[in-house]
Amino acid sequence: MSSLSRRGFLTASAALGGTALASALTGCSSSSSSTPPGTRTIDHWDWFVSQEPWLKQEIALFEKAHPKIKIKRTVQVSDKYPDLINLAFRGGSAPDLLMIPSTPALQEQVADGWLRTLDDYATPQWRGRFPDGNFYNGVDMVEGKVYSAPFSGQAPWLQLYIHNGLFKQAGVTNPDGSVKLPKTWDDVTAAAEAITGKSGGKAYGLGFGNVPNTSLPWWVELFVRGAGSPAGYGTDLLDYRVGKWTFGSDRNYTDFVELLLEWKKKGYVYPSSMSIGDEQARAFFERGKFGMIVGGVWNQSTWTQHHFTDYSLTTLPSPTETPKAFFYYPPGGHLWALSKNTKVSDEAWAWFDWLYSPAAGQRWVESGQGLSIFPEANKNAKVTSQQFQDYIDMRQFALPMPVPAIRNPDVSKVVVPTVTPDLPDVLAGLYSGQLKDVSGALSALEDRRNKALAEGVKQAQAKGAKVSLADWVFKDWDPTKPYQNKPA
Amino acid sequence: MQLLDTAAPKPPTGGRGAAAPAVTAPAHGRWQRIKAARWSYVYLAPLMALLLTFVVYPIFGSLAYAFYRWNGIGSPGDYVGLDNFRQIAHDAIFWRAVGHTFVYAIVVVPVQLLIALVLALTLNNRKLRFASFYRTLFFLPVVTSPAVVGVIVQLMLSNFGDSLNRWLLDAHLIGRPVDWLGNPKIALGIIILVGVWQTLGYNLVYFLAGLQTIPEEVYEAARIDGAGRLRTFTHITVPLLRPVGLMIVILAFIGSFQVFDLVQVLTGGGPYFGTEVVNTYIYHLAFGGNQATATEPNVGLASAASFFYGLLLIGFSVLQVLLFRSLAKRRATGRA
Repeated sequence: MSSLSRRGFLTASAALGGTALASALTGCSSSSSSTPPGTRTIDHWDWFVSQEPWLKQEIALFEKAHPKIKIKRTVQVSDKYPDLINLAFRGGSAPDLLMIPSTPALQEQVADGWLRTLDDYATPQWRGRFPDGNFYNGVDMVEGKVYSAPFSGQAPWLQLYIHNGLFKQAGVTNPDGSVKLPKTWDDVTAAAEAITGKSGGKAYGLGFGNVPNTSLPWWVELFVRGAGSPAGYGTDLLDYRVGKWTFGSDRNYTDFVELLLEWKKKGYVYPSSMSIGDEQARAFFERGKFGMIVGGVWNQSTWTQHHFTDYSLTTLPSPTETPKAFFYYPPGGHLWALSKNTKVSDEAWAWFDWLYSPAAGQRWVESGQGLSIFPEANKNAKVTSQQFQDYIDMRQFALPMPVPAIRNPDVSKVVVPTVTPDLPDVLAGLYSGQLKDVSGALSALEDRRNKALAEGVKQAQAKGAKVSLADWVFKDWDPTKPYQNKPA
Repeated sequence: MQLLDTAAPKPPTGGRGAAAPAVTAPAHGRWQRIKAARWSYVYLAPLMALLLTFVVYPIFGSLAYAFYRWNGIGSPGDYVGLDNFRQIAHDAIFWRAVGHTFVYAIVVVPVQLLIALVLALTLNNRKLRFASFYRTLFFLPVVTSPAVVGVIVQLMLSNFGDSLNRWLLDAHLIGRPVDWLGNPKIALGIIILVGVWQTLGYNLVYFLAGLQTIPEEVYEAARIDGAGRLRTFTHITVPLLRPVGLMIVILAFIGSFQVFDLVQVLTGGGPYFGTEVVNTYIYHLAFGGNQATATEPNVGLASAASFFYGLLLIGFSVLQVLLFRSLAKRRATGRA
C-alpha cells in the first residue's frame, strides 16, 4: 500500500507542533528580564521603522533615567495602524501611550473615550516650552482641553532624490563636475533621458514603488506645487483660495500627469515601479537601478544605516526655475497621546514628557529624522550629513496654511465621506492605462471630492453644527506667504 | 453484508396496516433514535458551538450593520435603510470585483482539476516508487500560508522581474519590459497561476481518495474482458469517480470564490481595482482601503457588500446543484 501512513503523519505533526510550541515558550520566557521590584511597565505603540534607531535610543536613555519604569514597545504596520488601534480600544487592550492614528479625527477619538486629557500635566509652564501658536482646538486640543502636542518642525515633506553616480555617468553635471540638480520639469526630463539612454538598459531615469498606492500621489504633489498649485492629496489640503479641490480645473495636474505618462512611454521609468513598494524602490535607487526618486526625509536615515551617501536632493521642481507654490502645514500638531484607560498615567506622562523634551528633539534632529518643533533643538543639533543639512535648508519652502477649524471650531464636526476612486486610484488607473482620458478622470475626481465635502457639511449641519462650505474659503490667503490664522 | 442489509425489503408504506405505527411512533421513535446516537451528538456539539459562534452568528450579526453608515467605532447610530445595498448594487467597482472573482474561479477550477486528476492517476499507480513522497511534495503548498506565498512571489517578481524581462527581451518574446504586477491583466494571470499551484494539493488528495474507493476487481474484470487503458479510464474510472468529482468541483468553486489573502498580499486588488476580487473589495470597505493616506472605513457598506455577495453565491450554488441534478437525470434517462 503506497498511501501515506496516518500514524506517521500524526507523529510528524505532533513532533512539528511540539517543536513550535517549545520555540514559542522559549521565546516567551526570554522576555522576562531582570527588573527591579516595583517596576511599572508602559505599553507603547508606534509605527516607526526608519525612525526606530532614534526611538530605541530614547527608550534606553529614559529607562536609565527612570529605573522603575519599563517601556514595552510594540511597532505596528503603519497602513493598518488605525484598524489595530481601533480593535485594541474595543478589546480593552489599548496601549498606555500611543501614536495618534490618522483616522478617525482627533475629536472623534476623544468623543469615543480613547484619549486622556493632559490638562492636569500640561500646565501653562509646560506648554511654554513650545513656540507660540501651537495649541489649537481640532489640532492638538479638543473643546479647550489638551490631548497632544506638536512634535516635528516643518520643512518640505517631499524631495526629489538624485543618484549622484548615475547623474555623473550620464554626464548630467555642472562645468565643475558636480551633479547638476534639476530645477525644472524639463531638467528632470533631460536627466531621465540621459540616464536611460547612456546606461545601455541597465538603469532608468526615474523610479518609484507604488505598492500599495503610495508613491504616485507624491510625484504629483511635488511637481504641481512647484507649478503653483497649493492644494494636495490629503483630506485637509484643498485650495483654500476657493475652498475646493481643483484636480480637474487646475491645468497643472493634467500637465504633470501627461508628462509622467510621456516619461513612461519613452521608457524613462523603472518598469517594475507599479510592482514594488517604497522600501524596495528605495533599495533599488541605492543600488543604482534608477536616477531619481521622490520621497521624504525618512529615506535618508535608511540610506545612512546602509552607508549610502552618494546622493543629492532638491525640491519643488517647476515648469520655470522659480516655484510658485510651496508646502504648507497647519500650526500645532499631534503625534503622541495617553490612553484614557491607562493605569500608569504618571509613568506614561513621564515618558510623554521625555519624548516632547527639547533634548529628545535635538537627538531627533541629530539622528537625521527631521526637524524638531523646538527651534533651539534645531539650532544646537550637530548635523554631520550634508544631505540632511540640505533638507534643513529647505525650511523656507514650508509655510503655515489656513486652518478652517481654527476660524470655526464646528468645522471639526464635519466628517468628509471617503471617495472611491480617489487620487491614488485614479493615478494608478491612468498610469496602468486603464483610464485613458487624463483631464476627464481628474475632473471627475474633483467633482467627487467636492461633492463629498458638501455631503459632509450637510450631515454636520443636520446634527446641529454651524458650518457651511464658506468655512473652507480663505480669500485673503496668498500661497507665497505664511498665513496668520485667527482663532474664532 | 452492508449491501444485503440496505437492499432488504422495506415494510409497506401504504395501506391501513402500515399507517397505524407511522402515526403513533414518531415522537417516541425519534427520541429513541437520538438516545441511541447520543455519543454522536456529544461529539458534534463542540463543532456546532464553534460554527454557531464564529460562522452563523457573525453572518446574521453583521447583517444588522448593513443598515447603518458606521465606521466601526462606537455603536452604529446613523440608520440609512437600504442605501448601502443600493450603493453596492450600483457600484461599478463591486461588479468589476465580481467579474474578477468569477474569472479567477472559472480559470482556476478546470485547470486545477485537470492537473490534479492527471497527478492523482499517476500517483495511484501501485508500481510507482516514492508515491508518498510525491504526494507530500504536491500537498506542501496547501499547508503554506497564502499570505507567505504571496509575499515570496511578490519578492521574486520585484527582485528577479528585471532579469526575467531582460531574458524575454533578448529572446525577442517581448518588445518592452513588463511591469509584472503593475499590468492588471498580467497580474491577474499571475494570481491565477499561483492560485492553481497553491491549492492543487487539496484536489489531488480528494481525487486520490476517490480513486482508492474503486475496487481493484472491477479493473481486473475489465482487463480480462480485453479493455485497454483508455477504455478502462473512460468506462470505469470516470463513471465511478463521478460522485466524488462532483463534490470536488463544488468545493473547488466555493474555495475559489473565497480567494482573498493571495490577492491582498500580491496586488492589494490594484492597480486601479484591476485585480480586485470581492473579498478584497469588502476588506477595503471595512478597513479603510489601500490608499496613500488612511481613509474612513465603512463597516455598514462592507456588511451590505458581504451579504449581497453571499446571496449571489447562494444563487450560483443552487444553479450548480440544479445543473448537476439535471445532468444526472439526463444520464439516467439515457441509460434507461
